[in-house]
Amino acid sequence: MIAVELRKLFRRPRTWAIIAVLNALPVLVAVLLVLTDLAPRPGEGPPFLSAVLTNGALYPLAALAIVLPLFLPIAVAVVAGDSVAGEAQAGTLRYLLARPAGRTRLLVAKLVAVLAFVLVTVVVVAAVGYLVGTTLFEAVPGAGTSVSGTSLTAEELAVRTVLAVGYVGVSMLGVAAFALFFSTLTDSPLGATMGALAVLVTSSLLFTLDAASPIAPYLPTRYWLAFVDLFRDPILWRDITRGLALQAVYVGVLLAAAWANFTTKDITS
Amino acid sequence: MSTVIATRGLAKQYGRVHAVDGIDLDVRAGDVYGFLGANGSGKTTTVRMLLGLVLPTRGEIDLLGERMPRAGRRVLPRMGALIESPAAYGHLSGRENLALLDAAGPGGARRDRRRRVAEVLDQVGLGGVGRRPVKAYSLGMRQRLGLAGALLRRPELLVLDEPTNGLDPQGISEIRELLLDLHRGGTTVFLSSHLLAEVEQLCTRVGVLDRGRLVLQDDLATLTAPTGATVVRTPTPEQVRAVLDGRVAAVDGERVVVRGGDPAEVNALLVRAGIPVTGLAADRPTLEEVVLAAATTSADRVERTP
Amino acid sequence: MASGPRAAAPRWAVVGVVVAVLAALPALVGALPVADPSVPAAELRAAVLASADVQYSGYAESAGGLALPVTDQLDSVADLFSDRTEMRVWWRGPDDHRVDVITTAGETGIHRDARGTWTWEYERATATRAATTPLALPAPPDLLPATLGRRLLSEAADAELTRIGARRIAGRDALGLRTTPAEPASAVRQVDVWVDRASGLPLQVVVLDETSEVPALDTRFLDLELGVPDAATTSFVPPPDARLRTADQAEIVLEAGRRLAPVRLPATLAGLPRRTLEGAPPGIGLYGRGVTLLAVAPVPRRLADGLRRTLGQSPDAVTDDAGTRIAAGPVGLMLLDPPDAGPYVLTGTVTLDALVEAAAQLPALGGSP
Repeated sequence: MIAVELRKLFRRPRTWAIIAVLNALPVLVAVLLVLTDLAPRPGEGPPFLSAVLTNGALYPLAALAIVLPLFLPIAVAVVAGDSVAGEAQAGTLRYLLARPAGRTRLLVAKLVAVLAFVLVTVVVVAAVGYLVGTTLFEAVPGAGTSVSGTSLTAEELAVRTVLAVGYVGVSMLGVAAFALFFSTLTDSPLGATMGALAVLVTSSLLFTLDAASPIAPYLPTRYWLAFVDLFRDPILWRDITRGLALQAVYVGVLLAAAWANFTTKDITS
Repeated sequence: MSTVIATRGLAKQYGRVHAVDGIDLDVRAGDVYGFLGANGSGKTTTVRMLLGLVLPTRGEIDLLGERMPRAGRRVLPRMGALIESPAAYGHLSGRENLALLDAAGPGGARRDRRRRVAEVLDQVGLGGVGRRPVKAYSLGMRQRLGLAGALLRRPELLVLDEPTNGLDPQGISEIRELLLDLHRGGTTVFLSSHLLAEVEQLCTRVGVLDRGRLVLQDDLATLTAPTGATVVRTPTPEQVRAVLDGRVAAVDGERVVVRGGDPAEVNALLVRAGIPVTGLAADRPTLEEVVLAAATTSADRVERTP
Repeated sequence: MASGPRAAAPRWAVVGVVVAVLAALPALVGALPVADPSVPAAELRAAVLASADVQYSGYAESAGGLALPVTDQLDSVADLFSDRTEMRVWWRGPDDHRVDVITTAGETGIHRDARGTWTWEYERATATRAATTPLALPAPPDLLPATLGRRLLSEAADAELTRIGARRIAGRDALGLRTTPAEPASAVRQVDVWVDRASGLPLQVVVLDETSEVPALDTRFLDLELGVPDAATTSFVPPPDARLRTADQAEIVLEAGRRLAPVRLPATLAGLPRRTLEGAPPGIGLYGRGVTLLAVAPVPRRLADGLRRTLGQSPDAVTDDAGTRIAAGPVGLMLLDPPDAGPYVLTGTVTLDALVEAAAQLPALGGSP
């Protein structure tokens, strides 16, 4: 079942189109940076972008930071929102369930497929970022400076980059869970995607609002940027562990809700 | 004969609307069961309940001897279904679609999948379609592909909802032959349709659904059994009335219905009186007459309640 | 494995229970009872004052509600008291520790060693070396609950202290100690210090002024771990591509102080006795005790004009015959600029009335310096 969902997802031209579009922005930013040599002032703009002019090996992180606030969640919401509602709209859902692909199984397989998409997307963005960074900018092989001003070996830098890629992937799981849940509520993939994005916009907005500070630790986007903490020295695990736990709670609750809804609903599409 | 589909008091209610209102289906092994009903009479909801897609409000369903939807994982792989319109992933070929569908559930072995897919594609007449994506298929081709999906695992029971939709006359006849072929091979067919002619040509048993109620369920042969009257066609109906005084039940233009189940006897009487007879047959009700007599108005009509 | 639809209610009930448990979890943890042994206030204060050598690492957050009207040169100080500041700290001792101020995409690390501090600013890739001076501007390490709590309790009299129960902070049992300044001039209503039972470290400090229920300053540990931090963590070697600088900010203050004409200031102002501070320029007069402090200095004409303009833009500023004054939480600031004499600036944690009283007691300056 999972293999079927993966095949469906990755044989679909749209999946690769989304990934391509996602990579276009960091590449464009890199080209503009090279042409103008105008890095954003440090501490402004996406994290790490100011550092790439001196070390192109950091561009994977800058690329992730560029797509993280908007593009990546949109891509994930589109794919996850389509997962069940898209099948319903196309009419294939009833054939799958009459096959029978068990409803719980189908839901799990859909989640795994979305997860795979998130992972592939994040890794591709990082990889393209690395290629762009090392070809367009001066790469300093084997070393980097941590946010705390200590020197990192190439190995440390690589490990932390991998961790950051993983963390960004996990952050996207919350989005995926929202979209998947909405996707079981409606037969319109667009509706499910928009629902998930509305949640994210609300969360980002509330995060900037002082009045909402009591609920700030529970907002799904609260710890998204915590991957920067991986590049402090020593690593600041506080927000990272909280971010992981928060995403786990959102994913758990939303999947449970999706399961409760999807396994008991009448398929009339 | 064992029962393949049995429902008891099956009902589905959407809010205050009774879509299906306590029906007792009885489909036996070897039947070609015609499930008739106007649009909106509850046919599709019933089919979806049989397949476990819609949860019944009340009642029980036994499919191939097991309780649905609980036993869906054991029962459904032994069935094939075409539910309303066919559906497939447009960017993939028909072959790939069938392989994915087969892999999505239990009871489809991986090693002979390729062979089975090729076989059913040949069976429905899509053997030469190649790698063309489904989005380039015509409506008829999609219908055939849907049917192929239903046939993929040599099902014991086929549940088909309007299977000839979108097909041209040759296609319809081809599919009819295919279904009859399968039936001869032992497959039970449950055919939901609003096309009376189609059902009349194919089915051995008929159930008629009207506004959520099963108003009729019997063998086609019984329903259309001779009524004990003879239909005479003649250019001079008034002479018939004169000769067979008191036995004429109805006159409709040149068509005269005469009581008496033996056409030979009626013919002898008329010929003796020198009345020209252009047609002569034992009177049988058509399925249409049976259905119209049993059902009320079309369910599409929404009348003002007094 | 379910393949068909089932009754919805039980499944939603499962989801509901899961959500309820998860939502209640923080409240349940917070409701865990905290032991409140009857440790006397004086004893608790002694434990705090002895805690400077307790070694720990942790994460602290300070939230300030003070909008100080200051000039651009002191921006960083103003931010410290008006914003939320997130700090990581590794404390090996009073002259071997590191405090990182964390921002979303960067940080400023202050590494203290025996002879001074290194300040690393990631956003500017700059490492700044500063020698220790007896008088320095407030810096993030001063806002750590442990450091601030010790400082605020250091001069408190036993009569000013009361015990106020216990609470859980950073997962540790903390005993409350409230200081209510005895001086009528004080603008600070109370300072609550919550002290770790085990180590004597202040875990939270809340400063309330006379008028507001919102703390003027609230700093607390969110995480705290007792134990010796790694020496490699607190030490600092500037990275190869960093710009190196030497600090001058403390110099600005000292230089300004040296240029002031020494004035004979009275021994008491607004009822507060004068005190001496090592390293402070002689032109600046410092009065008070504990959390009630008042600083007085004659200022150059140019600085006075700049300050007047700044104050003039603030709607909260009061101007009358006595001078221009403003209060930001418990901190008051007054510009005394008589037409026929040189200007003074008075500032401190005293009420505006006390500032006016103090201003009246100052000797007139002979013309503008």
